[in-house]
Amino acid sequence: MSKPIKYKLSVSNQLSELGNIHSTLEKLINDWDIPLQFGMPLNLAIEEAFTNVVNYAYHDHEQRLIDIEFVRTENQIEIIITDNGFPYDPTQNADPRTDLPLEERPIGGLGIFLIKKLMDDVQYQRHSDKNILKLTKRITQ
Amino acid sequence: MRISVNSNSTHVIVAIEGRLDTTQSDSFEKQLLEVIESGQTKIILDCKALDYISSSGLRVFLIAQKKMMAVAGKLLLCNLQPGIKEIFEVSGFSMIFSIHPDLETAIAAI
Repeated sequence: MSKPIKYKLSVSNQLSELGNIHSTLEKLINDWDIPLQFGMPLNLAIEEAFTNVVNYAYHDHEQRLIDIEFVRTENQIEIIITDNGFPYDPTQNADPRTDLPLEERPIGGLGIFLIKKLMDDVQYQRHSDKNILKLTKRITQ
Repeated sequence: MRISVNSNSTHVIVAIEGRLDTTQSDSFEKQLLEVIESGQTKIILDCKALDYISSSGLRVFLIAQKKMMAVAGKLLLCNLQPGIKEIFEVSGFSMIFSIHPDLETAIAAI
Protein backbone atom coordinates (compact mmCIF):
# COMPACT_ATOMS: atom_id res chain seq x y z
CA MET A 1 0.00 0.00 0.00
CA SER A 2 1.93 3.01 -1.23
CA LYS A 3 -0.68 5.76 -1.44
CA PRO A 4 -3.23 6.52 1.26
CA ILE A 5 -6.77 5.39 0.47
CA LYS A 6 -9.54 7.75 1.50
CA TYR A 7 -13.26 7.62 2.00
CA LYS A 8 -15.49 10.50 3.02
CA LEU A 9 -18.92 10.27 4.56
CA SER A 10 -21.19 13.25 5.23
CA VAL A 11 -23.92 12.72 7.77
CA SER A 12 -26.49 14.98 9.38
CA ASN A 13 -26.33 15.90 13.06
CA GLN A 14 -28.77 13.17 14.11
CA LEU A 15 -27.97 10.21 16.36
CA SER A 16 -29.93 8.03 13.93
CA GLU A 17 -26.90 8.37 11.59
CA LEU A 18 -24.95 6.01 13.88
CA GLY A 19 -26.32 3.04 11.92
CA ASN A 20 -25.03 4.54 8.68
CA ILE A 21 -21.63 5.28 10.28
CA HIS A 22 -21.42 1.74 11.63
CA SER A 23 -22.20 0.07 8.31
CA THR A 24 -19.70 2.33 6.49
CA LEU A 25 -16.98 1.41 8.98
CA GLU A 26 -17.79 -2.31 8.65
CA LYS A 27 -17.45 -2.07 4.88
CA LEU A 28 -14.12 -0.21 5.09
CA ILE A 29 -12.75 -2.72 7.60
CA ASN A 30 -13.54 -5.43 5.10
CA ASP A 31 -12.35 -3.57 1.98
CA TRP A 32 -9.19 -2.15 3.58
CA ASP A 33 -8.00 -5.37 5.15
CA ILE A 34 -8.27 -4.17 8.76
CA PRO A 35 -8.29 -7.01 11.31
CA LEU A 36 -11.73 -7.46 12.88
CA GLN A 37 -10.59 -6.74 16.43
CA PHE A 38 -10.12 -3.09 15.45
CA GLY A 39 -13.82 -2.74 14.63
CA MET A 40 -14.95 -2.24 18.20
CA PRO A 41 -12.43 0.46 19.29
CA LEU A 42 -12.76 2.35 16.00
CA ASN A 43 -16.54 2.25 16.10
CA LEU A 44 -16.59 3.32 19.73
CA ALA A 45 -14.23 6.25 19.21
CA ILE A 46 -16.27 7.54 16.26
CA GLU A 47 -19.55 7.09 18.13
CA GLU A 48 -18.34 9.00 21.18
CA ALA A 49 -16.91 11.85 19.10
CA PHE A 50 -19.95 12.05 16.81
CA THR A 51 -22.43 11.89 19.71
CA ASN A 52 -20.62 14.75 21.43
CA VAL A 53 -20.86 16.92 18.33
CA VAL A 54 -24.57 16.13 17.86
CA ASN A 55 -25.40 16.79 21.52
CA TYR A 56 -23.22 19.80 22.27
CA ALA A 57 -21.80 21.54 19.19
CA TYR A 58 -24.95 23.37 18.11
CA HIS A 59 -27.21 25.58 20.15
CA ASP A 60 -30.19 25.38 17.83
CA HIS A 61 -32.12 22.60 16.12
CA GLU A 62 -31.06 23.26 12.55
CA GLN A 63 -29.87 20.40 10.42
CA ARG A 64 -26.09 20.44 9.85
CA LEU A 65 -23.63 18.24 8.04
CA ILE A 66 -20.77 16.52 9.82
CA ASP A 67 -17.95 15.11 7.69
CA ILE A 68 -16.22 11.89 8.64
CA GLU A 69 -13.16 11.13 6.56
CA PHE A 70 -11.33 7.82 6.77
CA VAL A 71 -7.71 7.61 5.62
CA ARG A 72 -5.96 4.26 5.44
CA THR A 73 -2.19 4.17 5.15
CA GLU A 74 0.16 1.22 5.46
CA ASN A 75 0.24 1.07 9.25
CA GLN A 76 -2.69 3.09 10.47
CA ILE A 77 -6.13 4.49 9.97
CA GLU A 78 -7.06 8.11 10.57
CA ILE A 79 -10.59 9.27 11.16
CA ILE A 80 -11.13 13.00 10.75
CA ILE A 81 -14.38 14.39 12.06
CA THR A 82 -15.23 17.94 10.98
CA ASP A 83 -18.14 20.03 12.21
CA ASN A 84 -19.02 23.72 12.03
CA GLY A 85 -20.35 23.99 15.57
CA PHE A 86 -19.13 26.05 18.49
CA PRO A 87 -15.41 25.67 19.29
CA TYR A 88 -14.79 22.69 21.51
CA ASP A 89 -11.55 20.84 22.14
CA PRO A 90 -12.28 17.42 23.66
CA THR A 91 -8.57 16.72 24.18
CA GLN A 92 -8.66 19.29 27.00
CA ASN A 93 -11.30 17.34 28.92
CA ALA A 94 -10.13 16.17 32.34
CA ASP A 95 -9.92 12.39 32.64
CA PRO A 96 -12.36 10.77 35.06
CA ARG A 97 -11.06 8.77 38.04
CA THR A 98 -11.40 5.11 37.09
CA ASP A 99 -10.12 3.82 40.43
CA LEU A 100 -13.03 4.99 42.54
CA PRO A 101 -15.20 2.47 44.38
CA LEU A 102 -18.74 1.87 43.11
CA GLU A 103 -20.39 4.27 45.57
CA GLU A 104 -18.24 7.17 44.36
CA ARG A 105 -18.24 6.49 40.62
CA PRO A 106 -20.22 9.22 38.85
CA ILE A 107 -22.72 8.17 36.18
CA GLY A 108 -21.39 9.17 32.76
CA GLY A 109 -18.36 11.17 31.66
CA LEU A 110 -16.51 8.27 30.04
CA GLY A 111 -16.95 9.04 26.33
CA ILE A 112 -13.96 11.26 25.61
CA PHE A 113 -11.79 9.29 28.02
CA LEU A 114 -12.52 6.11 26.04
CA ILE A 115 -11.54 7.82 22.78
CA LYS A 116 -8.19 8.82 24.30
CA LYS A 117 -7.56 5.37 25.75
CA LEU A 118 -8.54 3.38 22.66
CA MET A 119 -6.86 5.53 20.00
CA ASP A 120 -3.10 5.95 19.63
CA ASP A 121 -3.38 9.66 18.96
CA VAL A 122 -6.10 12.31 19.22
CA GLN A 123 -5.54 15.78 17.76
CA TYR A 124 -7.86 18.77 17.76
CA GLN A 125 -7.67 21.83 15.51
CA ARG A 126 -9.92 24.84 15.09
CA HIS A 127 -9.68 26.00 11.50
CA SER A 128 -11.95 28.33 9.47
CA ASP A 129 -14.83 28.13 11.95
CA LYS A 130 -14.61 24.36 12.02
CA ASN A 131 -13.75 21.83 14.69
CA ILE A 132 -11.45 19.18 13.27
CA LEU A 133 -10.83 16.12 15.39
CA LYS A 134 -8.33 13.58 14.11
CA LEU A 135 -8.29 10.10 15.62
CA THR A 136 -5.40 7.81 14.73
CA LYS A 137 -5.19 4.08 15.31
CA ARG A 138 -2.18 1.99 14.39
CA ILE A 139 -3.15 -1.18 12.55
CA THR A 140 -1.15 -4.30 13.20
CA GLN A 141 -2.01 -7.62 11.59
CA MET B 1 -30.35 -4.78 20.83
CA ARG B 2 -32.74 -7.12 22.62
CA ILE B 3 -32.75 -8.77 26.00
CA SER B 4 -34.36 -11.97 27.18
CA VAL B 5 -35.14 -12.68 30.80
CA ASN B 6 -35.15 -16.14 32.34
CA SER B 7 -35.85 -16.51 36.00
CA ASN B 8 -36.03 -19.41 38.41
CA SER B 9 -36.48 -19.63 42.18
CA THR B 10 -32.95 -18.46 43.02
CA HIS B 11 -31.86 -16.00 40.34
CA VAL B 12 -32.64 -14.35 37.04
CA ILE B 13 -30.54 -14.48 33.89
CA VAL B 14 -30.75 -11.51 31.56
CA ALA B 15 -29.21 -12.30 28.17
CA ILE B 16 -28.23 -9.22 26.15
CA GLU B 17 -28.00 -9.53 22.40
CA GLY B 18 -26.73 -7.13 19.74
CA ARG B 19 -25.31 -3.63 19.88
CA LEU B 20 -25.60 -1.31 22.84
CA ASP B 21 -24.97 2.12 21.36
CA THR B 22 -26.36 5.58 22.13
CA THR B 23 -29.55 4.89 20.18
CA GLN B 24 -30.26 1.69 22.15
CA SER B 25 -29.24 2.57 25.69
CA ASP B 26 -32.53 4.19 26.81
CA SER B 27 -34.50 1.11 25.85
CA PHE B 28 -31.93 -1.14 27.54
CA GLU B 29 -32.04 0.98 30.69
CA LYS B 30 -35.83 0.78 30.84
CA GLN B 31 -35.89 -3.01 30.36
CA LEU B 32 -33.11 -3.71 32.84
CA LEU B 33 -34.56 -1.43 35.52
CA GLU B 34 -37.90 -3.21 35.13
CA VAL B 35 -36.16 -6.46 36.10
CA ILE B 36 -34.43 -4.83 39.08
CA GLU B 37 -37.57 -3.04 40.24
CA SER B 38 -39.57 -6.27 40.08
CA GLY B 39 -37.68 -7.16 43.25
CA GLN B 40 -35.04 -9.50 41.86
CA THR B 41 -31.94 -9.43 44.07
CA LYS B 42 -29.76 -11.94 42.22
CA ILE B 43 -29.21 -11.06 38.58
CA ILE B 44 -26.77 -12.47 36.04
CA LEU B 45 -26.17 -10.46 32.87
CA ASP B 46 -25.13 -12.86 30.14
CA CYS B 47 -23.15 -10.83 27.59
CA LYS B 48 -22.34 -13.71 25.23
CA ALA B 49 -24.21 -12.12 22.31
CA LEU B 50 -23.42 -8.51 23.23
CA ASP B 51 -21.38 -7.39 20.22
CA TYR B 52 -20.71 -3.76 21.02
CA ILE B 53 -20.95 -1.26 23.84
CA SER B 54 -20.26 2.48 24.06
CA SER B 55 -20.19 4.84 27.04
CA SER B 56 -23.99 5.14 26.98
CA GLY B 57 -24.28 1.38 27.52
CA LEU B 58 -21.65 1.44 30.27
CA ARG B 59 -23.71 4.12 31.97
CA VAL B 60 -26.69 1.75 32.20
CA PHE B 61 -24.52 -1.04 33.66
CA LEU B 62 -23.30 1.39 36.32
CA ILE B 63 -26.83 2.58 37.17
CA ALA B 64 -27.94 -1.05 37.53
CA GLN B 65 -24.98 -1.91 39.75
CA LYS B 66 -25.65 1.07 42.02
CA LYS B 67 -29.34 0.10 42.31
CA MET B 68 -28.42 -3.48 43.17
CA MET B 69 -25.97 -2.27 45.80
CA ALA B 70 -28.71 -0.14 47.36
CA VAL B 71 -30.88 -3.23 47.90
CA ALA B 72 -27.89 -5.40 48.94
CA GLY B 73 -28.45 -7.52 45.83
CA LYS B 74 -26.00 -9.27 43.55
CA LEU B 75 -25.36 -8.38 39.92
CA LEU B 76 -22.95 -10.64 38.07
CA LEU B 77 -21.68 -10.44 34.50
CA CYS B 78 -20.50 -13.32 32.36
CA ASN B 79 -19.33 -14.23 28.85
CA LEU B 80 -17.85 -10.85 27.94
CA GLN B 81 -16.41 -10.84 24.41
CA PRO B 82 -12.73 -9.75 24.29
CA GLY B 83 -13.48 -6.27 22.89
CA ILE B 84 -16.12 -5.61 25.53
CA LYS B 85 -13.79 -6.87 28.25
CA GLU B 86 -11.15 -4.38 27.12
CA ILE B 87 -13.67 -1.52 27.44
CA PHE B 88 -14.55 -2.68 30.97
CA GLU B 89 -10.87 -2.77 31.91
CA VAL B 90 -10.07 0.65 30.45
CA SER B 91 -13.04 2.23 32.26
CA GLY B 92 -12.15 0.67 35.59
CA PHE B 93 -15.45 -1.25 35.48
CA SER B 94 -13.60 -4.56 35.95
CA MET B 95 -13.03 -3.50 39.55
CA ILE B 96 -16.63 -2.61 40.35
CA PHE B 97 -18.32 -5.55 38.64
CA SER B 98 -18.11 -9.22 39.37
CA ILE B 99 -17.17 -10.68 35.98
CA HIS B 100 -17.22 -14.42 35.27
CA PRO B 101 -15.86 -16.30 32.26
CA ASP B 102 -19.05 -18.27 31.64
CA LEU B 103 -22.61 -18.78 32.82
CA GLU B 104 -21.82 -21.85 34.90
CA THR B 105 -19.28 -20.05 37.08
CA ALA B 106 -21.61 -17.07 37.43
CA ILE B 107 -24.45 -19.32 38.60
CA ALA B 108 -22.11 -21.02 41.05
CA ALA B 109 -21.08 -17.62 42.44
CA ILE B 110 -24.50 -16.06 42.87
